[in-house]
Amino acid sequence: MSTLQVAIFGLMLGGVFALMASGLTLLFGVMRIVNLAHGVFILLGAYFAYFAFDWIGLDPFLSMVAVLPLMFLLGMAIYRLLFTRVEGSSRFGEMTVLLTFAIALIMEGLLGYFFTGIFRSTSPSYGTSAFILGDLFIPKGQLYGSLASFGLLILLWIFLTRTRTGTAIRATMQNRTAAQIVGVNVRWVSTISFGIGVAMAGAAGALMSYLSAFYPARHWQWIALLLSLVVLGGLGSLKGAVIAALSLSVLSAYVSDWFGPTWSPMTFYLALFLILLVRPQGLFGKASAA
Amino acid sequence: MTALLELSEIRVGYPGGPDILKDLSLEVTQGRSYCVIGPNGAGKSTMLKAIAGLLPTRSGSILFEGRDIARLRTDQRLAAGVCFVPQDPSVFPEMTVHDNLIMGAFLVEDRSLVRERLERVYELFPVLTERAKQAAGTMSGGEQQQLLLGRALMIDPKILMIDEPSLGLAPMIADQIFAVIRGLGDLGVTVLMVEQSVVRGLDATDWAFVLDLGSKRFEGPSEQLFEDKRIRDLYLGKMASGDRE
Repeated sequence: MSTLQVAIFGLMLGGVFALMASGLTLLFGVMRIVNLAHGVFILLGAYFAYFAFDWIGLDPFLSMVAVLPLMFLLGMAIYRLLFTRVEGSSRFGEMTVLLTFAIALIMEGLLGYFFTGIFRSTSPSYGTSAFILGDLFIPKGQLYGSLASFGLLILLWIFLTRTRTGTAIRATMQNRTAAQIVGVNVRWVSTISFGIGVAMAGAAGALMSYLSAFYPARHWQWIALLLSLVVLGGLGSLKGAVIAALSLSVLSAYVSDWFGPTWSPMTFYLALFLILLVRPQGLFGKASAA
Repeated sequence: MTALLELSEIRVGYPGGPDILKDLSLEVTQGRSYCVIGPNGAGKSTMLKAIAGLLPTRSGSILFEGRDIARLRTDQRLAAGVCFVPQDPSVFPEMTVHDNLIMGAFLVEDRSLVRERLERVYELFPVLTERAKQAAGTMSGGEQQQLLLGRALMIDPKILMIDEPSLGLAPMIADQIFAVIRGLGDLGVTVLMVEQSVVRGLDATDWAFVLDLGSKRFEGPSEQLFEDKRIRDLYLGKMASGDRE
């Protein structure tokens, strides 16, 4: 395969990973929550898209739009019901790891019970066709998925930098106490941020529904990879997560091309180890962020 | 004259921990400046955090202008006029000095009012004008402290609580900060400050509360407390150890 072709494959996949990672890093940045259930929220979006496609022929991109508000509400409800109970705890970080781990296990069980463990994926026509540009082969589905992901990421960025609520979220990410003392209602900000993080996960899930086959236990592979991306980018840094997702997806495409596909998932973890040796705070993390 | 702020028998502690404030009561009058002194662990910072709403009040009441604010959120108390500058670094490190100041007026909706106050703050702290476009996290400790005071003034608080304004600052810088704090009274702001350096704290204020072991031991005009023998005893541990054993 030509060098450029490999880079294109990598970039196309990286866009959706960047979207997945954005929600995860946002939750950590605002609330110091390591959301181990992020993968199952992606799965929920994927199952939604699958059944919407199967029953009424709804295009996964329309599902993505429909999933955003639904998952936003689900996220806010989960935060209000479960996370506000551990909010004041001196072991908040540890508690949220246990809590999100439990959510992941329970949801995986429920998905397995209702939808069985079979592999599923939606099959829109663009999922298997491509643009041919000279020697280059650009898979349509992956291109559209990446474009949609970047579209959502840009919307998220505009929301965070141009609106009052977005400003409150950024302020809370930079210094929670400071945000509180200038009058930011941090509980409300946390609730909204959790909603946004889960909505981003759901939207990415709708896109993943045709990009790769999924089944209830699939989320473990996603979350492992996503955690490596957000740690690499610097926990809580949106820019870092996007750059890590894109560069590592490209790198793993090359690894896959040179050494075979078996080795490509290794790329993420190997890069994580190597970068943490040099920069323990990640690429864009702050040395004493916590 | 009725009190601006009145704590009655408040009990406060950190989540899951014991009470640090034990039935603490005190009164703050509008327009005066106050210093809270006492040995380490007396509960001085805890008291300010409780008034600001950063720590929950377990029992007792906090009356502000006659209204009990003990169960309100921090932002609601701020809207009522209670502003707090904590001792840990609390600028928004990645925002510019200007954006930090604007954040100080997060609850103010009137744009022209924000502009007016911004000008006043820049006048009060010339160094902030020079650094307006600089990221706040890259400034020195003294400059950050000035930014915090300036940011607090953006909400035009009725009472400004400052926790250890001189902590970690060079003596000369600390003197500048205290000069500003003394000037706040002229702006009609009631100041309630915790200060480790007793001499500085008493010098900058009208009245002082002396705390030990989570409750108020005594109070009096700051200038008289300079020579109060009880203070020396407290810091040398007589009074405290008498109680502890």
